[in-house]
This record gives sequence, structure tokens and C-alpha cells, in this order.
Amino acid sequence: MNTPPSFIHAMETSAIGEWMRSNLLAMPLVNAAHVLCITLVFGTILVVDMRLLGLFDRSRSVMKTSDEMLHLTWGAFIGAAVTGVMFFTANATTYWFNTAFRFKMLVIVLAGVNMAIFQFITYRSVVNWDRNSPSPRAAKVAAALSILIWFSVVVLGRLIGFTKGYDVEVPASIDFDFGTP
Amino acid sequence: MTMKTLTVRNISGAAALLACLVAPPLQAHHSFAPYDMNKTQLLTGVVTRVNPDANHLQIFFAVMNAERKNVERDKEGNPVIWAVEMAGSAASAQDGISVSSFPAGTVFSVGVHPNRAGDPSGFREGPLFKCPVGTTGKAIPPKADQHCDSVEGRTAFGQGNLPAATK
Repeated sequence: MNTPPSFIHAMETSAIGEWMRSNLLAMPLVNAAHVLCITLVFGTILVVDMRLLGLFDRSRSVMKTSDEMLHLTWGAFIGAAVTGVMFFTANATTYWFNTAFRFKMLVIVLAGVNMAIFQFITYRSVVNWDRNSPSPRAAKVAAALSILIWFSVVVLGRLIGFTKGYDVEVPASIDFDFGTP
Repeated sequence: MTMKTLTVRNISGAAALLACLVAPPLQAHHSFAPYDMNKTQLLTGVVTRVNPDANHLQIFFAVMNAERKNVERDKEGNPVIWAVEMAGSAASAQDGISVSSFPAGTVFSVGVHPNRAGDPSGFREGPLFKCPVGTTGKAIPPKADQHCDSVEGRTAFGQGNLPAATK
């Protein structure tokens, strides 16, 4: 394992990191909150994506569905981000070098790019397909990608728990010679 | 068979398959099965890193040689690294075991139940004893074939004595 950047070390040695590692209730409660927030993020996004894909009731307004859900989505996303950072500080070095964690962050960025393209390009014409007509192909592609991406976020999040920590490269700074006075 | 029942069966089947795929690692994750709980080894080593995992804190360390003047090395001359696994970081912190109390270079002793597969790892049994640090800032190791519990100025992490090693 290489040495992590100094800000990673600073996060791990922060008061929040120390509290997360030493308080018996901190990790279970933050973990539960993180899972709840991710569930809300994925759940509310899924409702919008399914409407875009034309599943179930096409008479329901896309704009109304989106407006109702996305407030919850953003609130839950902020909650997930805050609890995620708290998680990270508890064992920052290990998370920093974990491949599943890195892929999870990459996939979240991809989710943001997908959302931005949809929001700023495809969604501009929403009044034409708001209800009782099929969504344009671009909207359906964005919705399908969104479901795939957020499912990946959940799977990668779980993978982190089973792939982190077993790293045995020895820091060069340690002096193992105890024979020389 | 209607489309609806087919879909329900497909979803049920997929869920069952997913459960089968996920179940083994979940079971292994919280199991002592990898470790031989009937065997105990006493090890003294130099900390290389602490992984403060929420589920199982791990201390990685280079095992000291019998003379306690250096560490055991493999054929390439690299230190032989062991990992001792224990309760999660919060539970371990109740014994004072943390990233800050076991920085790299710390010399300590611990009893472990070794890994059945022969991997250099084990599950903690009993307290940890940390050797004191000398005036030069370097740890004072125990005498040959001894452990940190024999060194004056040692620090105990957990109750009791080091366990007896099995033969």
C-alpha cells in the first residue's frame, strides 16, 4: 500500500474519525442512516425512471412525478453524503485504496453526468411528452442508465465491506533492527 | 401459465439466486470458522499498520525473531507479516486498542488462534501487551524468547495475562 495523501490522513485522525472508531453506537447508527438515505435516493429515482420508461400509468405527469420525488432524492442524497463522509473518516486510508470504493465514487459521478445531460438537454422538451405520450428515446436511455448506475452503487457499496483491509505492504520508514543499541 | 405468474416466478428465482450468491460471504464474514480455536500461538511483533475496521479491527505486524533483535524474513528478505483480527474498532477501543495507541513501529505481544489454512493471521485471544518506548523513541523489545508482558514499563490492553501457547 502506498502512503495516502495528507488530507486522507487528516480525515482519519480527525475528531469525527476518532469518535466513529471509538463510540460503540456511532457506527451502527451512522450505518443505518446511510443505508436508509441510499434506499431513499434509489427508491425515489426509480419511481421517476420507471415513469420515463413508460411503465405503469402514462397519464401521470412526468413533471409532477419528478418534482415530487426529487426533493426527497436531494435531501436523502445529502444525508447519504454526510453519513458516507463520516464512514470514510473512520478508516480513510483503507477506503482510499479500496477498488470497490473507487468504483463506487466513479459510478456516482457517472450518475451525476447522466442526470445533467437529461436535465439540461432532454428534459427541456418535457412539455411535449409530459403525459399520455411515450417519452423520447433519450429520456428512456437516461432512465435505463440511471437504474443500472444506482443499482451498481448499491452493489459496490456492499462489496466494499468484503474487500477492504487486507493489505500488508510494509512502510519503508519502520526500523526493524533492535539489535543495534 | 400467465405472463404475470411467469414474471413473479422469474423475480422469485432471481431473488433466490441472489440470496445464494450473497449468503456465503455474509456467513464467513462473521464466523470464527477460518481460525483454529483449539490452538493458541503467542506472537511478538512490530506494528506495520492498523486497519480500524468497524466489524473487525486488524493489526498488521512483522513477527520478531526468537532473539528479539530483528524480525523474521522470507526468502526474499522481506519481513513476514501477520494480521491479528479482533472485535470491531469501537469494541477494541474499550480496551484502548486504536490507530493512535498502536502506531507503526510499536512492539507488542498477543495470543492468537491461528488461521486453519496456514495464512499468517489469527484471531486475538486475551489481552495485548505493548512494550515500552525508550529514550531514543524506539520500542524496547523483550529478551530472547520472551514477550512484552515481561518488560518493565509495559502497557496492557485488556484484562488478564497472555494465554498459554498450545503445543
